[in-house]
Amino acid sequence: MTFSLRSCSHSAHNASALTPDLCHHGNTRAVSQCMGNKMNGSVGPMRVLVTGGSGLVGRAIERVVKEESGEREEEEWIFLSSKDANLMSAEETRAVFERHRPTHVIHLAAMVGGLFRNMRQNLDFWRNNVFINDNVLQAAHDFDVVKVVSCLSTCIFPDKTTYPIDESMIHNGPPHETNFGYAYAKRMIDVQNRALFQQYGRRYTAVIPTNVFGPHDNYNIEDGHVLPGLIHKTYLAKKEGTPLQVWGSGRALRQFIYSLDLARLFLWVLREYDEVEPIILSVGEEDELSIKFAADAVVEALGFEGDVIYDTSKADGQFKKTASNAKLRKYLPDFKFTPFRAAIKETCDWFVANYDSARK
Amino acid sequence: MPILCDHYYIFGTLATQDVYLTWMDGFCSSTRLLRSDHRLSMGLRSGEFPGQGSKISMSAEETRAVFERHRPTHVIHLAAMVGGLFRNMRQNLDFWRNNVFINDNVLQAAHDFDVVKVVSCLSTCIFPDKTTYPIDESMIHNGPPHETNFGYAYAKRMIDVQNRALFQQYGRRYTAVIPTNVFGPHDNYNIEDGHVLPGLIHKTYLAKKEGTPLQVWGSGRALRQFIYSLDLARLFLWVLREYDEVEPIILSVGEEDELSIKFAADAVVEALGFEGDVIYDTSKADGQFKKTASNAKLRKYLPDFKFTPFRAAIKETCDWFVANYDSARK
Repeated sequence: MTFSLRSCSHSAHNASALTPDLCHHGNTRAVSQCMGNKMNGSVGPMRVLVTGGSGLVGRAIERVVKEESGEREEEEWIFLSSKDANLMSAEETRAVFERHRPTHVIHLAAMVGGLFRNMRQNLDFWRNNVFINDNVLQAAHDFDVVKVVSCLSTCIFPDKTTYPIDESMIHNGPPHETNFGYAYAKRMIDVQNRALFQQYGRRYTAVIPTNVFGPHDNYNIEDGHVLPGLIHKTYLAKKEGTPLQVWGSGRALRQFIYSLDLARLFLWVLREYDEVEPIILSVGEEDELSIKFAADAVVEALGFEGDVIYDTSKADGQFKKTASNAKLRKYLPDFKFTPFRAAIKETCDWFVANYDSARK
Repeated sequence: MPILCDHYYIFGTLATQDVYLTWMDGFCSSTRLLRSDHRLSMGLRSGEFPGQGSKISMSAEETRAVFERHRPTHVIHLAAMVGGLFRNMRQNLDFWRNNVFINDNVLQAAHDFDVVKVVSCLSTCIFPDKTTYPIDESMIHNGPPHETNFGYAYAKRMIDVQNRALFQQYGRRYTAVIPTNVFGPHDNYNIEDGHVLPGLIHKTYLAKKEGTPLQVWGSGRALRQFIYSLDLARLFLWVLREYDEVEPIILSVGEEDELSIKFAADAVVEALGFEGDVIYDTSKADGQFKKTASNAKLRKYLPDFKFTPFRAAIKETCDWFVANYDSARK
């Protein structure tokens, strides 16, 4: 592989045993923007590339970075969408890295889909995600990116398992049959991170969120996840004066994480979390909520006054899929998650204000 | 794999099927050499591609060009990046990525060129590190593999994942076999980097030649199931023609035919006519005491299949090694 490395002609490098003491900024920025590989909790100036930047999580990170002083001095954040590059192509991926020369990457891009599409296309979900992930991780390595934080999912855990699930259990058995292609592709991010560490000392890592919700979600009722689906259905039921039909008994329990909270935690992982092993980002087991509780919050937030009917002929899915956030709490015992009702209110307000352009 | 050369004689009977053999040559220390056989129209030889170390199967374009040229109806996919323990430990990323590329290139080209069947080759070393015994075909993904070669192990496991995905999405019945310890002519006899039996054969040969004792690493008590490459080849052909499942199948002698390393060493000593001392260096690790694999599924299909008796197979292998010492891979 050849790519151009240009040495900076100044002395402000922190030499590291892990990566070459080289700078890739071929521009005229101030000398202080050049950074070495700082590992112990402090980060210098950085240029962060976010793949999948236009999605639910990407938009939340963008908002936290821009509106909550998440963007530090001399930091540059670049949010990519599929319009900017087809990450299934190695050449296009490398061209993006060549153009932006990031020091850090938040890798959110993936081929995703609802249950039925996964069930029909396991090969495509497997291959396309392996290509995307390999292209990004390998380009990052070749372009000497200091850190990549990728995004896994609790749906990739073993189907047969004990609860609560934790970070050590990812590979302890096969995933659920319906989306095994997607699940294995995500798992292999962790394998590749560990291999990059073993062979090159790279400290690339990953996070594992539970059910994320927030503005800019996919609100498609067939294809989307439970909360955005509920929000959209309640909106329509209110508009059309029909009852709200909730699928299942409403008794299934889930842990939800507001996209803005996830974004704040993503920034902490990017800057401070040094392990290669992934970390679950979620509210605790004690904050598991029933689907009924979530539906009630949506009904209240949207001011829906019609009937709510639980269609028990539809499957509940798993009753519980409790994930442990003990590791997160060990690092951040005082992190405050946005109260669920408030987060639902913000999300519903956004949906109402942006109904026409929302993805659905 | 050493089996390919030998089973060319069997392939001579395959008059109507174009069987496509893949391998990598010159890419890694464990070079897989194939002799061509005029009866086998589809054998790939290293000389067929430009340059030593031509990364054929890691390039999607070159792989597709080969499928375009030969238009196989069937594929036996044996090519892989392999290496000994120490190289695996240092290069897990390369073993992971390169094998994923090779496997995806071959499986996807096969699908695109409407190949009826692909039989790939897994290995018992990819099974979960923490497991119960005997291991069987249903247990491949039941936990992480051993840390030392996890890159290679996961890449091999993902062949099974891709086979199942090809079946789910397109109805392809591509499958895989899982041999235990294979031995035979044309192996890699490198003492540092190779497997236990070829290493023993080479060491015994040298000990006899130099009049020194034979040093066997470990206590000799560890148990292993060995399969002769010619037997494996015969079973490969049965799998290619008759085995219809997508789930892989273990190809091995049964649990009752597990042999100790000492037994194997004695057979090599006898076959090579070595008369010096045999010393067991117990300061060297035995590795796992047992890694018993079940061949119940194979026996369900082929209750009467006869494996070549171990001593006879060792004799043939040693005779080949002596006759071909100079050119043998070591």
